[in-house]
Amino acid sequence: MSRLSFRPRPLDIHKKLPILKSFKDFEDDEQPTSTRNSQLLRIVPEVEHEAHVQHVPSKKLASEIPTPMFVYVDTYERDYSCTFVQPTSYLRARGVRAEIGEFVEYDLDNEDEDWLSEFNEEREILTPEMFESLLFKLEVLDHKARERAGLLTATLGSPIPVLLRFETAIESLQAQTVKYTILQSVYEYWKEKRIRWLKPILRRLQPAPAVNDTNPYNVFRPREKAHRLHTRRMQRRENNVQSFEKLRQVRRNLDQAKSLLEALIKREEKKREVIESEVTLQRMQMKYKHETEFLEDNLALSGFTPFSSKLVSSEEEFFDSDDVMTSRLPRTRSNAVQNFHPYDSNMPMVPTVNTKQDLKRRLVPHGWPQKLDPLEPVLLFAKPLLPDKLAMAGILPPDPITKSGVSAQPCTFRGRMGRGGRIIFDRLNPLMQTPIDCGNSYYIPPKPRPSTYN
Amino acid sequence: MGSLDAPISAENGTAPAAGHGKSPLTDGGMRPPPSDSVPEYELVKRRRSSVLPLEVGTRVMCRWRDGKYHPVKVIERRRVHGCGPNDYEYYVHYTEFNRRLDEWVKLDQLDLESVEAVVDEKVEEKGASGLKMTRHQKRKIDETHVEGHEELDAASLREHEEFTKVKNIATIELGRYEIETWYFSPFPSEYNDCLKLFFCEFCLNFMKRKEQLQRHMKKCDLKHPPGDEIYRSGTLSMFEVDGKKNKVYGQNLCYLAKLFLDHKTLYYDVDLFLFYVLCECDERGCHMVGYFSKEKHSEESYNLACILTLPPYQRKGYGKFLIAFSYELSKKEGKVGTPERPLSDLGLLSYRGYWTRVLLDILKKHKGNISIKELSDMTAIKAEDILTTLQSLELIQYRKGQHVICADPKVLDRHLKAAGRGGLDVDVSKLIWTPYKEQS
Repeated sequence: MSRLSFRPRPLDIHKKLPILKSFKDFEDDEQPTSTRNSQLLRIVPEVEHEAHVQHVPSKKLASEIPTPMFVYVDTYERDYSCTFVQPTSYLRARGVRAEIGEFVEYDLDNEDEDWLSEFNEEREILTPEMFESLLFKLEVLDHKARERAGLLTATLGSPIPVLLRFETAIESLQAQTVKYTILQSVYEYWKEKRIRWLKPILRRLQPAPAVNDTNPYNVFRPREKAHRLHTRRMQRRENNVQSFEKLRQVRRNLDQAKSLLEALIKREEKKREVIESEVTLQRMQMKYKHETEFLEDNLALSGFTPFSSKLVSSEEEFFDSDDVMTSRLPRTRSNAVQNFHPYDSNMPMVPTVNTKQDLKRRLVPHGWPQKLDPLEPVLLFAKPLLPDKLAMAGILPPDPITKSGVSAQPCTFRGRMGRGGRIIFDRLNPLMQTPIDCGNSYYIPPKPRPSTYN
Repeated sequence: MGSLDAPISAENGTAPAAGHGKSPLTDGGMRPPPSDSVPEYELVKRRRSSVLPLEVGTRVMCRWRDGKYHPVKVIERRRVHGCGPNDYEYYVHYTEFNRRLDEWVKLDQLDLESVEAVVDEKVEEKGASGLKMTRHQKRKIDETHVEGHEELDAASLREHEEFTKVKNIATIELGRYEIETWYFSPFPSEYNDCLKLFFCEFCLNFMKRKEQLQRHMKKCDLKHPPGDEIYRSGTLSMFEVDGKKNKVYGQNLCYLAKLFLDHKTLYYDVDLFLFYVLCECDERGCHMVGYFSKEKHSEESYNLACILTLPPYQRKGYGKFLIAFSYELSKKEGKVGTPERPLSDLGLLSYRGYWTRVLLDILKKHKGNISIKELSDMTAIKAEDILTTLQSLELIQYRKGQHVICADPKVLDRHLKAAGRGGLDVDVSKLIWTPYKEQS
């Protein structure tokens, strides 16, 4: 069969390939195809004929790869008994022979047989079966002795010593119905053979060759693969001091990472608490805002003056700015106050305190909000207070100084309408006529108008 | 007849000296009819004495079992009784055939007339002669240039041949059959001195003398491979033997298998393998007809490491059964698999047949488009194997910018016919098996 060798193109194994059921599919589009393909097409039918002729002989050839031969063994029927009965269920493996115990794994070899026939000298002193069994037991005993002594060599190569002593052997083999002298001879024979062989004579007990043994005649070495673990990282790891240190380092790192993460968790929990309280805060703000609006509307409708309610919010602002101020004042006083206003050095502090107390005092009788929560939110936007509106509501520019009777200083408050409709008092530095708390971002203080009150 | 008596008689140690007259294969028939004239004969004699003993590497014609003379190369020689230049026998390689046919021959099988001058061609010879089959075979088997040997580089091949150049065991007795071996097998050194081994059919222990086997048979308690039966259909049973649990059995099986597999390595221990032993069962027990081994955990997605049908059972479809079985196991595992390389000539032949049959059966029935991946998922055959199979049958063609599969029923039938009989079918319903990974 002529073989067309054209360069195979890469084929995507995931791509669905059309199946052409007939050569007619090829014929149909013969015209537009390349010369190579049309050549292929022309040949295909030929192949059909040729192949038919050729395949028969070539198939015959294939089955004629010559192989060596085999013959029947005439003693087979005698050697193998007809004692096997196949159970109806599938056969299951039994324990391994070595574990079952009684089976004599050792088979006499030529030299054993030769020695035995010489030993027996035509008499039946020792049966081959017994001899086999004795040798097997000696091997196993010796193996156990080496095991106890921790001398089980892992690899073949160096001679494997005989550890089993005759006395021990005799002790263990007493149960056998064999004469002492026979046992002794067998032991001597076994030991001599064992020393000559340099290795156990029972194949199962012979150690495997070393992994790095390159002698091709030594077979069945342990494969490194057996110990190889699944990942490459694990494969590289060995059991030595170095890797122990490495692992300890890893442990240390992991411990550190753990405490770090715990701290991180604590921090995040705190953060969450903060956020939660802020949310509560905002909720309360919203609540109060709505309540005030509602109240204001009611008041507006009834024509009642919303005096008290307005005061509350201004009160809040007082508290806020006051807190800030008290913490700040000692600093500003020393330089700014004294430098610019030498004539009235102790004034700034006094009115504020008094005002606050005064306002508080004024508040209580009205019985409006009893609760003065220091955390009461500050509303962010407010519109300026209109004097005429205030006047309409019966609010006159307060005169706390006269009321308290402490100072004759003119009033430094400027009221305006907050965005929520509340009255807000901005506090100005009475000396400088500038807002005291410029850095406070809660509201933008309106431009000071010093001329008004001074 | 008159064929391979040489190794058998030699192994008994009773072979007559390979002198002319004494050989059971008489002179007359053996040698090419020499011209009758006495001077000629004298000449031959003289030449013979001058070339004897033949050097290793000599090329000469040798009478094979078919009674015809074939070119051989002397691989090794050894002295038999006596110490004259004639007292040698020669291990020859038939350059037309696979190494499995290499054998010890007596001097009188060689046609000394045809001795060529010794050429020192050790290096360049290997590639050509060492592996040569007949041209027909070569073409047939190797149409897609996947032959076992060629996957090995020259150096490792030479090393391999050096270590295994001479079969150590000539014949084995296994159950009912006495089988000529094919290749060297690294039996323990205690067995260096023997040419014939007697295997216990069930536990595969091997012994040097028949009496030893007979004594062993009296005590051997096995009637089947020492594993679990996982499949039974008629008289056919499959056993799974764990190399770790049955180390000695696994090793015995490897020693035995190596006698029939060229590129099998016994380098590593058997505990990483599972052995699937196929048996014919009768009232005497379960007789192994072949086996395949499989790595418990293959990193290269191999679903089969070694596969062997014992010579007496070859050409009966067991090999294809074993292959099909290995793919059924892969299907149960939900994996795609491929045999470990290199494949032998016979192995490749079986695999090609199996792949062709499975794939073409699907293509015949399938309607619509199909991808290689889908074929692979359906059959557990690795995509690469599908590609090489279809390409070697020229069923994948490149048409108008895309690959198409040609599935003309007539063409498919022809290929199917060429692929041979399917052998015995695996009845999946009779497979009772848990993948190794899941076994506790």
